[in-house]
Amino acid sequence: MVEGVEVVEDDEGWPFPCKPDPGARHLTPVATIARAIDDLVRRAQSGEEAAFEALYRAHAGRVFALCLRLSGDRTRAVELVQDVFVRCWERLGSFRGESAFGSWLYRLAVNLVWMANRGDRRREARVLPVEDPQALERSGDATTAGVSVDLERAIGSLPDGAREVFVLYDIEGYRHEEIARMTGIAVGTSKAQLFRARRLLREKLER
Amino acid sequence: MNEREPDTELTPEQQRAVGELPRRIEPPEDLWPGIRDRIRQGNRGVGSGGWSWRFWVPLAIAASLLLAVGVRLAWVRTGSWSVERTAGAPRVDGALMGTSGTLRVGEWVETDDSSQAVIAVGTIGHVDVRPGSRVRLVRARDTDHRLALAYGAIHAKVDAPPRIFFVETPAGTVIDLGCEYTLETDSVGRGLIHVTGGYVEFAANGVRSIVPLGAYAMTRPGRGPGVPYLEDAPAALRAALESFDFNQGGAAAVRQALAAARAEDALSLWHLLVRVESAQRGDVYDRLAALVPPPAGVTREGALAQDPAMLERYWSLIRRIEFRRIILKGIRDVDPRTGLAR
Repeated sequence: MVEGVEVVEDDEGWPFPCKPDPGARHLTPVATIARAIDDLVRRAQSGEEAAFEALYRAHAGRVFALCLRLSGDRTRAVELVQDVFVRCWERLGSFRGESAFGSWLYRLAVNLVWMANRGDRRREARVLPVEDPQALERSGDATTAGVSVDLERAIGSLPDGAREVFVLYDIEGYRHEEIARMTGIAVGTSKAQLFRARRLLREKLER
Repeated sequence: MNEREPDTELTPEQQRAVGELPRRIEPPEDLWPGIRDRIRQGNRGVGSGGWSWRFWVPLAIAASLLLAVGVRLAWVRTGSWSVERTAGAPRVDGALMGTSGTLRVGEWVETDDSSQAVIAVGTIGHVDVRPGSRVRLVRARDTDHRLALAYGAIHAKVDAPPRIFFVETPAGTVIDLGCEYTLETDSVGRGLIHVTGGYVEFAANGVRSIVPLGAYAMTRPGRGPGVPYLEDAPAALRAALESFDFNQGGAAAVRQALAAARAEDALSLWHLLVRVESAQRGDVYDRLAALVPPPAGVTREGALAQDPAMLERYWSLIRRIEFRRIILKGIRDVDPRTGLAR
């Protein structure tokens, strides 16, 4: 971890590595965070590896959660996280700051995972939730961890298309239009897959 | 649409559980060393990674000198995109591809009758290469993402600022204005574009068509794009436009088009306005104005004189009406003359 950098969340829930900045006392917390992230991105864009590591540390948890749920495969998710950050490094020069860095990174991740999934439909088992429910319990509230694990198992067993849309819409909060833009499916398809996912999920949870 | 889809399938408890799922799950191990090694090995990215500028600056100077002595091919062939096989046995630059591969500048993706592939357009979108197609990567730069469709069909979906994604065809160049479309063409340039999101500009031989969501435009070799028309345009209008654009239908075809056009077809008449002979321009303007009254600031005289600002203002109104008509289809009855709900 880069010295002096701590991770906080902005108003959208994005984790931002925030280095205390005495010159930014007059700014709101969100503005301070944005300033810190801008600084890290600029430094990473100029090739500073330590700054990019800080960005990785701050965002790895959310990117891993996304890759895990979209791929349904723990081993694959680890590979995908690495691919996402390598791609991020390669594309960082094209990031113009028109959106939050986290949003840009997340879109890149969704695009990459979606492409990978399309070329990798042959996998047979989705092992994450069953293989290591502890990983989920460590991340959540202890009192709801059991429910979460059951839910993660049920989500992991959904058909690919339905699971992908459910994760993006119901867990990550994207709208159908955004999902359509990111993945190339039609808005109507996204809505149909969401309906299907919720129906299947309820059936699985009530069994 | 900004509202969330109401969840009528899950119980309130289940919805609450979904809402409480952790948004962060830490990876099972520290992945940074692997990432660091990869970006150091294949450093195509933004900066020097672990390399110092003392290494890169002399290297860059040497590379510049090489370029300066005329290694133009190396300059042209820089850049690559990823490509995934989605069906059959597509080829990249003549070789059968695996599940995925890299498409470099100058290389072709070819699909036979049972093959399909998807090309990632940098990070801004993707292009599905349909069966029986041949597509070349022409340029892969941040400001110029360019493919050439020799023949066949593609479906492009791009989320980027206008005019950074282009597809060249034998009959002209398709310029993305933030959109989704299907484009098909044969090897001499007889083709069709169907826009299913946003707008596309199709340009060739000094002719320009702006094709919005829900519209088609035909292309022909040596003529470029025809006048665009809506998915539900009357058959008589489509036939008249094809005659005018590609079969030397002349004034008779224009008259037939004017007679067949509805208010919804204003986008076709606007394109006709800038293409017909000056002697017929008044007829086209009068019909267009009767179907969709011009906005303030647009005069008959100005439109007939092809005043760019007035034509643009008229187009802007037509475009907004059409957009409202399509997005409110089935929800509101929109007056195609004004764009207002009836």
